Amino acid sequence: MKTVNRPLSPHLQIYKPQLTSVLSITHRGTGIFLSFGILLMTLWLISLALGEESYNTFHEHVISWYGKLLLISFIFSLFYHLANGIRHLFWDIGLGLDISTTYRSGYAMIFISIMLTLLTLILGNVISI
Amino acid sequence: MAEFILPKNSKIKSGKIFSKANGAARKKKFHIYRWEPDSGENPRVDVYEVNLDNFGPMILDAIIYIKNEIDSTLTFRRSCREGICGSCSMNIGGTNTLACTKSISSFDGDIAIYPLPHMPVVKDLVPDLSNFYKQYASIKPWIQTETPAPEDSERIQSKDDREKLDGLYECILCACCSTSCPSYWWNSKRYLGPAILLQAYRWIVDSRDKSTDKRLDKLEDSFSLYRCHTIMNCTNACPKGLNPAKAIAEIKKLLVSRIT
Amino acid sequence: MKLSKIFRILFSSSEAVQHWWAQRLTAVALAPLSLWFIYSVTTMHGASYETVTSWLGNVTNSVLMLLFILILYYHAVLGLQVVIEDYIATEWRKKVLLISIKTLASLFALSAVISMIIIYVEF
Repeated sequence: MKTVNRPLSPHLQIYKPQLTSVLSITHRGTGIFLSFGILLMTLWLISLALGEESYNTFHEHVISWYGKLLLISFIFSLFYHLANGIRHLFWDIGLGLDISTTYRSGYAMIFISIMLTLLTLILGNVISI
Repeated sequence: MAEFILPKNSKIKSGKIFSKANGAARKKKFHIYRWEPDSGENPRVDVYEVNLDNFGPMILDAIIYIKNEIDSTLTFRRSCREGICGSCSMNIGGTNTLACTKSISSFDGDIAIYPLPHMPVVKDLVPDLSNFYKQYASIKPWIQTETPAPEDSERIQSKDDREKLDGLYECILCACCSTSCPSYWWNSKRYLGPAILLQAYRWIVDSRDKSTDKRLDKLEDSFSLYRCHTIMNCTNACPKGLNPAKAIAEIKKLLVSRIT
Repeated sequence: MKLSKIFRILFSSSEAVQHWWAQRLTAVALAPLSLWFIYSVTTMHGASYETVTSWLGNVTNSVLMLLFILILYYHAVLGLQVVIEDYIATEWRKKVLLISIKTLASLFALSAVISMIIIYVEF
């Protein structure tokens, strides 16, 4: 029987996006994004070590429109990755793994990470620096 | 690289339209994935518009009606029609479930039906499950003991120990969970997937089985078990209401307890 | 402790278990550290050169920052390794990517540490 030419059934193309998979891939996305954030944070430390002039140059980028955009994205990503990470830690000790709790903790986690992001932006005057 | 897009021979074309609901008060369109191995053509999606008063309330009733009355070439697996054999698992309305226990009325609008995702297709809605069964065999799904069975009784288990198997023994191996898992899509050759891991756990927690350590050893590499990232699509999909994600979490806990 | 358990801990071939466990441990450590970091930077209004350097010149802050950045790099490498193993099937590509990421992370982590020592000594 010829079996080589069997097609692959559709997957990403047809599978319904749902809270479970969407929150999971966002966790991965924010994680990858934050890895670049650590590189920038390191550049920030290097600029500090090199002296006031280099720090000011770095700081100018931070307060530019693209710097602020990046900063806000990093802050949200961090809170998201942190809140969802805590959700994962509960799962890892075997708690909250039923579907109804998973959905409730998922919505709560989104709400908390947005609130913490807003709080940070307001406290830190990020929007107006 | 993981296959995020469909290979050339798997791209889906639009197919034929069968309108068989003239004047019906309750009608419905079913979009069904079709592939004929002998045609040499790509898969297509045929649309069947039918009168809902002609058959029973379940998705399986609809596709049996379509096969009997409209298009006898439509191919799918089914047997018990009551959710215990696991044959009619397919992707219905975007999620994996059993056609026999899913009601038509749980969907608004048209209903799309595809074979289980990211599997080689044998014909139409029939996926090739060889790899899935091979993986099932690999976890040695039978009791392994050190002593001969008692002569005049079965191997005794306490009530508490027996309860540990609840939520595990009910698995019918329909593969809905495994083929809902993106991690299984990308690494089905080496990752065992939620169904098989739930089965593995079923033998790991069985108080009568004496191969617990050996069973855990088999799962210790970075692919068999650890491709699970608790995405939770599996538990969301299970038509029997079981929790493969929880079973996997318990295995991970056991593995960590062996190194700490 | 059973002999078999001691044996397993000493000669464990279970790199995967250790990887998983390390990822959780670093996550637990990073939760308070990242909140501390965000809070400190947020309340550092204006963030002039003097403010930041004097903040990092403080022993507690500089130790916490050092821990934070080192654990961050470790956690990030562990996480990226999972992503690479998930999506890259070709063995040599996987190895090259992993080595590049580990090298890059080590170099950056090292320069972060050196920078912090310089800042600490100067302020």
